[in-house]
This record gives sequence, C-alpha cells and structure tokens, in this order.
Amino acid sequence: MPQVMPRNRAVIDTLPARGARPPVTYRYAGDRFLLLEYGDMVLDLTMNFRIFGLNDALKRSGVDGLIETVPALRSMLIQYDSLRLPTRRLVDTLKQLEETIASVDDLNIPSRRIELPMAFEDRWTRADIERYVKFTRKDAPNVSNGHNIEYIARYNGLRDPEEVIHYLCATEWWNACIGFWPGLPFMFPLDPRFAIVTPKYNPTRPWTPEGAVGIGGPCVAIYPVASPGGYQLFGRTIPIFDLQQRNPAFKDNPILLKAADRVQWVRVTDEALEAIREQVYAGTYRYKIVGYESLNVKSYLKFLESVKPEVAAFQRRQAEAVKQVAIP
Amino acid sequence: MLEVLEGGIQTTVQDFPGRVGYLDLGTYPAGPMDHFAFRTANLLVGNAQGAAALEVMVGGLKARFHDRRALALTGADTQATLNGTPLPLWESVAVKAGDLLEMKMLKGAGFRSYVAVSGAFDVPEYMGSRATFTVGGFGGFEGRALKKGDQVRLNPGGTGDTQVGRRLRTNLRPQYGTHSEIEAMRGPQADPDYMTPDDMAFFFSHTWKVDRNSNRMGVRLESHKWQWARTGGGIAGGHPSNILDNGYAVWTVNVCGDQPIILVADGPSLGGFICNATLVSASTWKVGQLVPGRDTIRFKEVTMDEAVQMAQTLDTTISERSIERG
Repeated sequence: MPQVMPRNRAVIDTLPARGARPPVTYRYAGDRFLLLEYGDMVLDLTMNFRIFGLNDALKRSGVDGLIETVPALRSMLIQYDSLRLPTRRLVDTLKQLEETIASVDDLNIPSRRIELPMAFEDRWTRADIERYVKFTRKDAPNVSNGHNIEYIARYNGLRDPEEVIHYLCATEWWNACIGFWPGLPFMFPLDPRFAIVTPKYNPTRPWTPEGAVGIGGPCVAIYPVASPGGYQLFGRTIPIFDLQQRNPAFKDNPILLKAADRVQWVRVTDEALEAIREQVYAGTYRYKIVGYESLNVKSYLKFLESVKPEVAAFQRRQAEAVKQVAIP
Repeated sequence: MLEVLEGGIQTTVQDFPGRVGYLDLGTYPAGPMDHFAFRTANLLVGNAQGAAALEVMVGGLKARFHDRRALALTGADTQATLNGTPLPLWESVAVKAGDLLEMKMLKGAGFRSYVAVSGAFDVPEYMGSRATFTVGGFGGFEGRALKKGDQVRLNPGGTGDTQVGRRLRTNLRPQYGTHSEIEAMRGPQADPDYMTPDDMAFFFSHTWKVDRNSNRMGVRLESHKWQWARTGGGIAGGHPSNILDNGYAVWTVNVCGDQPIILVADGPSLGGFICNATLVSASTWKVGQLVPGRDTIRFKEVTMDEAVQMAQTLDTTISERSIERG
C-alpha cells in the first residue's frame, strides 16, 4: 500500500527531476515571499550555479511584480508584490524558466575575480583569540600558540600552519551567497582538493576584528565589521564594508562583494596589510577586481571529475586526523 | 527643523517600505515596526505614506519645532502635550516655531508611537532609503537613534495649513491590548518535513509570551520542546532546527534551536535555521506594538488568498476615504 503523507501546506508546488535537472520545491514564505529549493539538502556547488542561472533568467524575464531575489546555496528567496503578481503566475513563470536552463552544464555564470591581500596568523586576530582564552575559555582546544591556525592544521591532517596557508591560497573561493550581516560572504573552495573543514567555536568568541577571515564547517567568511563570531580564524584582509564609502570600490554602496564573486588570497605581512588598509581609507588603493569573466560550468565539472582521486585521498587523510583531535 | 531636547529610549527616522532591494547584499529593510500607524501619520499630514517620519519607542521624546507645520501623532498613547496642552492621537494639528512637543514614558498598552510632520523629515537617502538600520548603523539621522542636541531638518515648503484637523475615523483606530492575535501563514519549513503536525498545531494554538529581550532585530518568544520531524540537521548541523543557510523572509518566524523569534525590521537576511511560519503583510504592524516581557500573542493561520484580501483591505483603510475633517 502506498504511504499516505499528510499534505504539506507550506509547499505551493513541485517540479519533479528530469534528466540532469534536480527536483524543484516552491514554498510559501508569507504573502510577499516565495522560497525555491533545488534537490535535497546537500552541499553541492552545481546547485548553487543553477540558482545563479535561474536568478539571471528570472531577472531578464521582466515579470511584472518581481521585487528582489536572494540567491543562496541551493535555494532562492523571491520577494514579489502579490497584489500585482499572483503566486500562481510567479510559480508558472519559474517552472517555464527551468526549461530554458535545462542543463547546468550549459551555464556560463558571470563572475568577478577579486584578489584580496591577507595577513595570515596576523596580530589583530591573535589579540582577540588571546582575549578569548583569557576571558571566555581557558582550555579551548582550538587555540594553540595563541591562534587557531595550528588547530586547523591538526583537524585536517596538515603538517603545520604553513601547509594550511598553502591550501587556502591554492584555490579560488566561490562566494555562494551574501547575508546574515550586510556584505558578509559565504565562500566555498572551487578546488575541492584543498577543501579544509573545521568545527566552530564553543562557546562563540565575543570579539572579532573587522576584516578577520575564518572557517566554519567548509565555509569561509570575512567579518565585515568587528563582531562576535564562531569561525576558526586564520588571518585578516582589507575592508569589504565601508559605511563612509572612502574608496572608489564602495562608490555605489558600502558593500564590496557580490554573490558569484571568486576571491583569491594573496599573502602579505602584517606591516604590508596595515599600509594597504591605510591606502584603502585614503581612497588611493585600487581593489584588484577582474570583472566579469564567466565561470563555465561544463569545464568546471570536467575539472571536478579529473581531481576525484586526489579529493578522496585528502578526505581520507582528514577523516584519520579528526579522530586525534578534540572538538571545542 | 526639529530640535531634539530629549531623545527618549530609541527614537529613529524611518521610511516605508524601507531599504528594499538589498536583501541579496545582506541588508534587511529597516523601516517602521508598525507600518499601520506610520503610514497613517503621514496620511494625516498630507505626506506620501512612505515619507520619512519618527518612530518613538516607549516615549520620552522632547523636541522643539522651528517651523510652521501640520503634525500628527499615531500609535501608542504617550500622553503627549504641545506647550503643555494635551495632543490628540490619530489627528493632525498645527504647530508653529517655538512649540514644544513632550511625550511621556509609555505606561499603558502599545510600545511605539509615530510622529509625522507635513513636508517630512529631511535626512539623506542611503542605499535608496531614509530608514535607520540600527544594526549596521546607517540610514536615518547619522545612522543612529536621536539624542539631545540633534537638529533634524524638515523639507522646505509644506506648512501644512490645509492639512490641519484631519482625523482617522474612530472605528478604524487600533485598540492595543496586552494580548494580540497575529495572522500568519505556514512555512516555508513547517510540517510534515521539518516539524510534526502536532508541533504546528501547538504553534498555532499556544498563547506565546513576548520575551523581554526583543528589539528591532527580533521579537523573541519563549522556548518550547518541539517534537521535530527530523532527528538532526544533516550536513547543516546537529540540531533538527538546522538547515543549509537560506534567505530569510522579512517578518518570518525563525526557530533557533528551541526558541521561536519573529525576524523584524532590522533582522538577519540569511541563516541556517528553519522558519516554520511567516506573518502576512497586513498583520506585521501588530508586532511593533507588543510590550516585551508583558504581552502575549497567538498566531492565527490564514491562507494565501486570505492574506491577499487582508492586504487589499489594509491598503483601502489607509487611504483618504478613512479621513474625516473637523
């Protein structure tokens, strides 16, 4: 006998999988928002690429009553004026658009490459980590020699902080979405051979300097302003948020990064970082932005296929390492 | 110009619908917590409903006018006076240079009051809006709440002489109490996939207490032991309230671990917890009047069709046809 599931009143409609296209779920989020989701809850950048393909197609469709979209990992939140655009019409439009982006392989995603200088294991994040040990948790297993970077090495089976830095610089970081706080990027490694992971702080850290960069799970974030935080810190970069818009990079708004940007770390010393930060605020520093190249999904997927054995080998190394390491 | 003599607890410049179009850059819209009272205040003084006006939380604002304008106060009753004489609510009056507005600290029902003047407040647009975003410290008047000594400019013109003596019909004025019923729709993450049907039945029948730790970011309710449909959050984390990060609708109910939090004007735009229900646009204004640590609410489930109908009705209510003169 088929199992009878209770009706899901939060779901407006679904589109079953067809060929390589994942299933799509359309959910109510009140009378002004709709949440679209691809496939199951797995971390798969190809889902994120497809979200950008759909986002682009939706914005070009010019459907009347669309207000804004929030692309995320495997979902997109859509704000619409339901007095002008009935939900049914919006869902029908979204379903039709799926046909126009039938294969994620064919997508070319407009993407900027941004080089950000990074002082690894810098003195500013070190100061806040030391405060954490002093005032919040004396026996924090994720702090050695006053920083988190050795813990990141041990947790991933890497030799030392130098190897962590090598891994972080060996891949571009894909900004899958922006959110939580204005301008905060959620970034993932495009080259999975260098996909390090870490657990988060416990309890969270009450202080983090502006521009600090950290990793939680597989995700790397830059802190746009000084704030509490839970990610393991590994360095500090230049401002990605400036209310006073003191640099041409902030001319349109105070937020530097956009979803679908690719970030590359360029190692610098604390002194060099400090000098560049001063130039940023003086308005003389030019952010190194190459825009818009596009990310060709087909060649990217081919690349993923080619590195599979190496990725599997690193994952085995990580799995072994985790057994020896305390979780915060 | 309005000269601030006392700023009160939190008085901010807001506009409606706030900073729309920046959710994908991580910025919630800000704007008034009670858009009914806010829009009505503007309507009474002849402004566009979204024009910049003041949101005064729990009263305490003391300010002097330096121009001739029409003034309207709406929302919670702060026993306001003009030069010592009691001021009516939901009604526009004339003010002239030198007049002193005083609002007492709120004691009764409701939590926020609104002050609109003809011509509207003149603060710079920041990312397309004049609304104060308290979390990011931008928009409004220098990105912050008003304080003693601030001089808030008014737009030129707009003496408002023809806008004086306009009143919202008495039967349309909201009656704030200690308990509210707030209309919401199920989802995006409800039952049977994230919560159990019993969890959702509880959610829509329970009388929830508003936590004292509530503000323009979130209105917190009490924690509850949910049954949950899942045992964990899969790759997103150990708790069944965890999901892969997604965008949060404005005015959604975010269940963070065991605690439901209504994400309001200055909330987070994206995160990794389920949202089991979302307030409908015609009901969100009631949240702005909830007194933290005292009031209770119940969520009433409505359908999409009902929500659209309510939105149309509300737009009709906040219109010229609801204004009487005298």
